[in-house]
Amino acid sequence: MSQQSEFIFALSTTVFLAYVVLVGTHSKHSAMPLQKHCRKLCSQASKIFRKFLVHILQQGPIPKHVAFIMDGNRRFARKSHQVTTSGHVAGFHKLANVLEWCNDLGIKHVSVFAFAINNFNRSEEEVSALMHLAKDKLKELADNSELVRYHGARIRIVGNKALLPSEVRQVMDYAEKTTQDNKGMTLNVCFPYSSTDEMTSAIRALIDDAESGKLQESKISEGALESRLQIPGPDLDILVRTSGQIRFSNFMLWQSSKMAYIQFIDVYWPEFSLFHMLSIMISWQCAYLGIEKKKQTVAECARPCMLSASVSDDETCCSEREAA
Amino acid sequence: MSVTLWLLALVPVAALIRFVGIPDDTPHQTKPFLRQIFDGLCYTILRFLHLAFAVNKSFQSWVQMTLLQNEADVHDLLLSDRPALVEERMELEIFLLSLPQRPEHFAVVLPDGHTDDIVDDVEALCAWSGMAKIPRLTVYTRDGRLKDSADAIEARLRKSKIISRAYDNKPPSIILDLGTHHAKRHITSPGNHPLHVSLWSREDGFPALVELSRSLAKQVSTGTLSAKSIDETMVASLLKDPFGFAHPELLLLYDDLLCIPEFPPWQLQNTEVYQIGQGSVKSLGDAVVRALGSYAKIEKRWGK
Repeated sequence: MSQQSEFIFALSTTVFLAYVVLVGTHSKHSAMPLQKHCRKLCSQASKIFRKFLVHILQQGPIPKHVAFIMDGNRRFARKSHQVTTSGHVAGFHKLANVLEWCNDLGIKHVSVFAFAINNFNRSEEEVSALMHLAKDKLKELADNSELVRYHGARIRIVGNKALLPSEVRQVMDYAEKTTQDNKGMTLNVCFPYSSTDEMTSAIRALIDDAESGKLQESKISEGALESRLQIPGPDLDILVRTSGQIRFSNFMLWQSSKMAYIQFIDVYWPEFSLFHMLSIMISWQCAYLGIEKKKQTVAECARPCMLSASVSDDETCCSEREAA
Repeated sequence: MSVTLWLLALVPVAALIRFVGIPDDTPHQTKPFLRQIFDGLCYTILRFLHLAFAVNKSFQSWVQMTLLQNEADVHDLLLSDRPALVEERMELEIFLLSLPQRPEHFAVVLPDGHTDDIVDDVEALCAWSGMAKIPRLTVYTRDGRLKDSADAIEARLRKSKIISRAYDNKPPSIILDLGTHHAKRHITSPGNHPLHVSLWSREDGFPALVELSRSLAKQVSTGTLSAKSIDETMVASLLKDPFGFAHPELLLLYDDLLCIPEFPPWQLQNTEVYQIGQGSVKSLGDAVVRALGSYAKIEKRWGK
């Protein structure tokens, strides 16, 4: 080894030992074994490294709204030779991590597909276990999570709550009420949810408003319908589905169809890592300009039919603009 | 020298530790100079990552295109009598017919600005549907060019040799649907193999849902319908497929941008989406074959 590298090695070792000794003698846990110190050091180092990576990404555009279809919990459990419920628990822990990453990145709206309406077709045992898990974890999220307490996250429960048992509904109402005034990230938990149910509810709400006189029939438009969706906005930027399946499964169809960037990732949800998240972000940032350009063309063509009763002018308008 | 080296190592680490914890809520012009330098360094790293990603993506596309064995151009495959192409066609037919599952309703999203080849593409897609024995095809462009070219498409499908060859020289009965405000067009005389083709655009999606809402609101206001009876089953029955098939089971997104360009949302509920950029394949036929191959492996669980 050269003299310079010897010097650097000796200095690094000295600094490390000094840290261990100082923390050991001044900490109330002076008998803490060396491994715990190392683990603490590694954890802090990885936190700093993660913040550094996030800071790099924040030099480019950041999506406002990201949605996750958290698929693959049961297959993960089978792969790990565990019961199904432990797969869902692992899925929840991963959700907590992902929300932390999204919060660090500055993503203001996150929607997660926690339970589909047709998941009620599963075995009674599994549905019951999922309801218990939802009840416990939502309360934990609303009361004790760093995301809510320190970062002011707001929880919204989206879906047909009438289908849920009353005790689960109570916890959901509690989570929504206790966080409704928070100004941080908005977390839309879709439970139980289907997009066709959402669109039907929006149509019904529109008709009710038209009947009650709150909305004139001539003002029934795409914008009016969109504002009555359970997740009206902002526009969905990225939709991520894990486990390698390549379908929407009736999740946020309206929102996804409006030029959302679709990413199907071939990894189970509990195995979704920061690396996957950052890859998706970089991939989106690379496509960002193309998407924005297309959205502008779309917005120009859609404006007449968003506001007015006529639909027949739409395609002529689009064709003429495209030709130009 | 060693001091210099040590400083070179320490300064970035110190900047890293000092700055990553600071919340970035200060306007750019009031940021400290060192902070601006640090942000500039991070921006450079980000651009490098973007470049690396773009290079990796191009390389993967190049590899996929280079390793591809057959070009799968449907005109050559179906019209040529060269022994090599005849053999290739037979292998492809065996492959398509041996797929454990095929969609009944296949939809293809073509990119905007796809003008010159659009009639060729619709003809080719009809031929591929024939080879794969798919009875229902939907072709979509957001900008409505398909509907503008409906007459040209109808004329081409009427006398298409490749479609006839795809159906073993028995021309199929093609029913062309141009969406909700247009009458269906029947092309060729009724045969054994009907092919239902829809040419959709943006107007068949979001505006169609608005039109439906308006119509239901009118019925409610005149008293012919009760608002309480409007449920998902009713809306589903009003938005059902014009030919009575299921909504698209497979959607081929043939565009470099991995976004759904306002395809009718209600119809996407159980659709498998196969994304393939134009730069990753030699032809549309190649994309179709890959999409069908991918669909054959999927497992439908219907929420269970």
